[in-house]
Amino acid sequence: MRQGRLATALMMGGGVLVSLYVLVPFSWLVLTSFMRESDVLVVPLHVNWGDLGLHNYRAFINPQGITAVVGSRAAENTLPSILNSLIAAGATALLNLVLGTLAGYSFARLRFPGRMPLLLMYLGSRMVPGIALIVPMYLTVKTLHLLDSLGALAVTYLTFTLPFTIWLMKGYFQVIPRSMEEAALVDGCSWPQMMWKILLPAAAPGLAASAIFAFMTAWNDYLFAVILTSTMASKTVPVVVAGFATDVTTERTLMATGGILAVIPPLLLALLCQRLIVRGLTAGAVKE
Amino acid sequence: MRGGIEAAPLIGAPAAARQRRRGPIVAPHGAAFAWLLNLPSIIVILALVGYPILNSVWLSLHRYNLKRPRIFAFVGLQNYADIASSPEFASALWVTAIFTLFAVMIIVLLGLVVALLLSREFPGCGIVRMLILIPWAIPPVVNGLMWQWIYDPKIGAMNALLKALGIITEYQGWLSNPPYAMAGLISAHVWNEFPVAAILFIGALQRVPLELYDAGRVDGCRSWQLFRHITLPWLGQALLIVLILQTMLALRVFDILYVLTAGGPGTATTTLTWATYLTTFESLDFGHGSAYAYIITLITLLLSTFYFRVLYRRSEFET
Repeated sequence: MRQGRLATALMMGGGVLVSLYVLVPFSWLVLTSFMRESDVLVVPLHVNWGDLGLHNYRAFINPQGITAVVGSRAAENTLPSILNSLIAAGATALLNLVLGTLAGYSFARLRFPGRMPLLLMYLGSRMVPGIALIVPMYLTVKTLHLLDSLGALAVTYLTFTLPFTIWLMKGYFQVIPRSMEEAALVDGCSWPQMMWKILLPAAAPGLAASAIFAFMTAWNDYLFAVILTSTMASKTVPVVVAGFATDVTTERTLMATGGILAVIPPLLLALLCQRLIVRGLTAGAVKE
Repeated sequence: MRGGIEAAPLIGAPAAARQRRRGPIVAPHGAAFAWLLNLPSIIVILALVGYPILNSVWLSLHRYNLKRPRIFAFVGLQNYADIASSPEFASALWVTAIFTLFAVMIIVLLGLVVALLLSREFPGCGIVRMLILIPWAIPPVVNGLMWQWIYDPKIGAMNALLKALGIITEYQGWLSNPPYAMAGLISAHVWNEFPVAAILFIGALQRVPLELYDAGRVDGCRSWQLFRHITLPWLGQALLIVLILQTMLALRVFDILYVLTAGGPGTATTTLTWATYLTTFESLDFGHGSAYAYIITLITLLLSTFYFRVLYRRSEFET
């Protein structure tokens, strides 16, 4: 289809508008993280371009240097909480891959009694809002003496990421020709060997997409993290960052910096794996 | 969700046809193998979703407040009756309805407009397609923090911008004024969630056969008519998924609420989820809290069923 110059110009204008809508709020947060506290308190707002720097970021690496009392506590906790988040979200992704691959394979390849009810049970479990599960989950985790542990957090996240992983892996396995795996089985591979050597490499984009979605969901969670964690042994970054945001005495520039630090891992993932994510989202939702 | 139905066991179909349609095969090791593969997932889901659901139904039928932990008395549906007749519930239901209605509507419209734009080719379209992943990647807590900073009553960028443009004469406390607080909450949520809708719509738009547009144009359709009679029907299924996903997300919105308004000012942004949270974790009233949570679950199920009935059948023969 040929487009006129006017149409192209209009579309580029639209593209600029969308970009501004996305970039302006976020850039303001980024910019704030480079500013000095005394500069952001000035009314009317102006940006002291000459005095932008990494001082806030330095304060997070060496929290003793900070004067704000409450701010320094949260700042001290930020980097350890990022590590906690990485562990919890990474473990969630890993568990998802193992369990989701096995179940996804069964739905893609096998016919068995109870197949549809089982699939509906998985998908239906996502219909229940987290807030309805949190009290009994809390009581269960407490009975098991697993409160305030990253392991309990990862297993909790597994429950609300697994249905989507199973659904996604089912779809990815279904488009791989069955002849590949039949040939491997005929050649004398055992089922686990065939999975490991043939099917999983062929489904690598699906595995990557599933892992990314599980990681993001776990990274983003606040509700479960705030109820199930209590100390820095397991506090994740959203809990620490929410502590910044709801504390009026915190310096605004430190708060912005904490927010940016919490965004870096998921943002990098999103921008580096753009194609995988877009294909995964579309494949998960739109099926012929 | 249609994939599951399409791939339902093809009992009685000839083997050759079954192969061609890539339907499931009979397991070499029998059904036991399939259940074995599902065993870990079933254990996790039953233990951490199934059991809590039943447990909280049980809790919702009891008087159970952690402030008086010795009392655990069966009260039947009394908790539900208490909630249904309370003014707090009516207010929370109204707030939830307003938030969900506007959030879902704006996300669908914005997602659709952005998708219609980005499914075309123009210089720079690839960059914009990448940029819309930024809001998607930002955790809701950070999104709340970002907008809180923008809406700040004394030194916020929103006030500075609007005053510089001459739209307001004095700085406003955006989050301390009920209608503004609701609008601010909705627009922050929309910013975070519109990319998923846009991406799903782009995916659906790319599947529309281009011949249809050519045929339509030959028949003398205007572009608006092409959109109305070709694009929109083809989007049916994606629309259903976006509506269900976004309605579920809006009904259970929590993180951004916690950071941005905490249900305030007053009860202006106290949704059902927030009321559940307050009842459960501030009043420590687990009985009423569980009943509240169940009401949200029920509303989610009713709305999803409604969407299915209205949209699913209509889009069925078009996909």
